Amino acid sequence: MLARLDNVTKRYRTVEGLRDVSLEFPEGEVAGLLGLNGSGKSTLLKLLAGLLVPTAGRVTVFDGTPRRNRARLVYLGEADSLYGWMDARDAERFMAGLFADFHRDRFRELLQGLDVPPRKAKAMSKGERGRLRLAMTLARDARLYLLDEPLAGIDLLSRERILSSLVREWHKDSTILLSTHEVAEAEGLFDRVLFLREGRVALDARAEALRSEGRSVVATFREVLG
Amino acid sequence: MTDRRGWFLDPEAGPIFQQIGDNVRRFLARGDLRPGEKLPSARDLAGELRVNPNTVVHAYSELEGQGVLETRRGLGSFVREDAPVEGMRQDLIRRAASRFAEEAVRLGLSKGEAIAAVKEVLDARAAR
Repeated sequence: MLARLDNVTKRYRTVEGLRDVSLEFPEGEVAGLLGLNGSGKSTLLKLLAGLLVPTAGRVTVFDGTPRRNRARLVYLGEADSLYGWMDARDAERFMAGLFADFHRDRFRELLQGLDVPPRKAKAMSKGERGRLRLAMTLARDARLYLLDEPLAGIDLLSRERILSSLVREWHKDSTILLSTHEVAEAEGLFDRVLFLREGRVALDARAEALRSEGRSVVATFREVLG
Repeated sequence: MTDRRGWFLDPEAGPIFQQIGDNVRRFLARGDLRPGEKLPSARDLAGELRVNPNTVVHAYSELEGQGVLETRRGLGSFVREDAPVEGMRQDLIRRAASRFAEEAVRLGLSKGEAIAAVKEVLDARAAR
């Protein structure tokens, strides 16, 4: 098991982000994290990334705490962490200095595949920045990729490029957890879909199994969360 | 979700691995794909269709089991020289006709009415 949550609750000052959730993530899986705003998707990803500590229960990543294993996991948050002065070459130096598992040649391939323009981040569109951030993320050789809304607020073409790159870069010994609102566009990518509602797992299913019952993931989303 | 061959997937229409199989059979029936030809690698096709590579692997292995494809070690997946192309073509035609026939029966059409309806639509398309 690559990661697991045992009876995890995360309480913020007044609200509960996650309520008594237990989940296991085996290696070699692409799991979609689906739910409305405030359903707990980001909380779950941040807990696995070690950016949040559970109020109760235990989060385990590679048989240890997420904090101890941060070098082996990759987290792409919603916040745009790029410096405005950075272009792709600066980003490459920055990442290579920070992470031993960052592959410069893979990064350059990704830049090409994602069609990232040679401009400073501040002169890029939101979609272009999203693509650059994804290239930075995927050029690392991690086993666990935690991607929080990598498709949010960017144009269709960028979303398609991002999904294609994700598919091409994904390796069987790694697991991707991806939260998104773009269910229809991303559903083909998922082995497994987790529907979150008010901090709980409302449904945990295999995407192909849903479709063989004649229900798309989108239709199931409406059924379960609508 | 289309390339030069016009792959078509619909998440509402059942498991994706099955639909990939149907696409391959349709390309063969139309002659857009021929015996001996190589298929894209699972990763490339997955990237293009933006689906999970496992799903493509699953589809290819089903097609292999049905005698349509063969895997050549280190080279990739190929359409078998003896792939039952005509059989698949007939099967696809029968399936399409059955879908229409079922709806025609539900509508209470006579055989003549059903055939006339198809003919009319096909003629109209040809005239476009």
